[in-house]
Amino acid sequence: MSLNSLLNSAIQFVKDRFPVDKLNYHYMVEKKEVPVHKMSWGYYTGGLTMFFFMIQVITGLFLLFYYQPTVSEANVSVEYINKYVAGGSLVRNMHAWSSSCMIFCAVIHLLTAFAMKSFVKPREITWIAGVLLLFITFTFGFTGYLLPWNQIAVNATKVGLQSIEYIGEYLPGQLAEIPRIIRETFQGEASVGQSTLGRFYALHVVILPLTLVSLLGLHLLSVQIHGMSQGVDVPAKKSEKFMSIFIFKDLSLWAFIFLCLFTVSLCIPFDSFLPYPLLAPYNPLGSTPAGIKPEWYFFFVYYPLELLPFWVILLASMAVVGVLIFTPWIFKGTTRKTLGFITILISIYLIVMTIFGEQIYELFKH
Amino acid sequence: MSFSNTEKIENRRGNPIMQRYKTARLFFALLMGLLLSLCTPQQTKAYPEYQSFVEKNSKRSINCAMCHVNESGPVGNGPGQLSSLSEEDMKQLNKARVALEPASGVKSPILNDFGNKIINAVGKRKFLEYKSAPEKLAPALGSESDLDGDGIPDAQEYLDGTDPLNKFHGDPIRLFWINLNRYKTHVILTVLAVISINLGLLNLVKGISSIQKK
Repeated sequence: MSLNSLLNSAIQFVKDRFPVDKLNYHYMVEKKEVPVHKMSWGYYTGGLTMFFFMIQVITGLFLLFYYQPTVSEANVSVEYINKYVAGGSLVRNMHAWSSSCMIFCAVIHLLTAFAMKSFVKPREITWIAGVLLLFITFTFGFTGYLLPWNQIAVNATKVGLQSIEYIGEYLPGQLAEIPRIIRETFQGEASVGQSTLGRFYALHVVILPLTLVSLLGLHLLSVQIHGMSQGVDVPAKKSEKFMSIFIFKDLSLWAFIFLCLFTVSLCIPFDSFLPYPLLAPYNPLGSTPAGIKPEWYFFFVYYPLELLPFWVILLASMAVVGVLIFTPWIFKGTTRKTLGFITILISIYLIVMTIFGEQIYELFKH
Repeated sequence: MSFSNTEKIENRRGNPIMQRYKTARLFFALLMGLLLSLCTPQQTKAYPEYQSFVEKNSKRSINCAMCHVNESGPVGNGPGQLSSLSEEDMKQLNKARVALEPASGVKSPILNDFGNKIINAVGKRKFLEYKSAPEKLAPALGSESDLDGDGIPDAQEYLDGTDPLNKFHGDPIRLFWINLNRYKTHVILTVLAVISINLGLLNLVKGISSIQKK
């Protein structure tokens, strides 16, 4: 294939994914129809993820007014927000609860999009942008975990960063240095300290949000241009107008979810799920308290990592990332029935490892 | 959190330089461990029976900070530990040590508010008796005292293994029902506000939609 034809194919690929004639309000909003079928609920998961992201941005901005990203003041400022700022505890709890909800909805959205085969031509870019958005969301979780600067935050981050360096053991030659360089870049000093906090803070409040908003724009534009995917094998007989029936339902769902989030945030402090010694300010001279573990949404990889050799998890993770990125081409010819079956298996794994991961770990370790 | 994978990776290293490096590192680690064990104050559990009971009962890990000022317990030279006490503090401590009966009004400098509450509520004599049956301490504390004001009595927080001095820490389910009752006005007003905003937004969308049709 000559360079010219390769270039032409690339241009055609982009033209098919972003047809200029469809880039108008009439086509993207007025004319848009949403199929109605048994899997229609899957169309709401993406909107919910975006809704939780909006909550994250708003509550995060409020927290920025008081949070101090220094090792001496980070924990004190979080305590100040909780105890002395009017509504501070509510805002902080909403931030914590909605972060978990955002990750939960993003995973559900990915699974439903996979089961509904929403990644086939011309939606490849939508899918890839979605996968990248999911990775960014997880990185948000990882970077945000350190910010309260308590025992669990710092110790879990130490282990997380150390895991990056382990990858170098499996890489040949000079490549083996790359994970160490990555870890040192994020860590910024010999151990997790002020530089790490500063870098994680910059990532959490500037770099990741900007990246996420850019990708989200691409993702949404793509969704609006190509419309909702068919979702089921037999084309749905009924459909509803995006404007205004679907928007109506979406807004009503958001309102209901907001009320649930508000009530839960008001009544259950997110920290109360953890033993209190883990919430104490980080003491570099003290011993590491028992029970250090990452947030629940990392359990699916954390407990297998504790049970199996590192290289097994590394290979599996690389394979999963590769499959996720190339899903539109790998599963192009797969039926929705098969995709549904694969989705159920993945869901079972995720649920079991998240809820019973600790018990499974205890069972095999002792 | 275990670091077992590091060991697995390092066992694969076979070359002599790595072996020497490993030996040197092991020696260094042992030396540092020895130094640290000599320098760092050891966590001394004054009455470990209570800690064991709470951890078993609640399935939550706790530390000395439940009753003591210092999370590492009373022995050491950190804040709220024996070696750091002033003369005045020592007098207070000695008074607390002989407060055998309840309601003695003592305030031990090595105990936090909850620790002092226990001594004042049951007295040192009963407290020592309960060492063999730590579950008896909860009923002895009664259900009225709630030092952090979160709505969960201190005795229940003791049984749940949660922080009795932090109103943002408690059993999540208990906190949910207590706070729902406490903030019911806030919840009702928010429900009304959200319904109103949503109705407004829906009508706005409806209006835009009808203008488009025309």
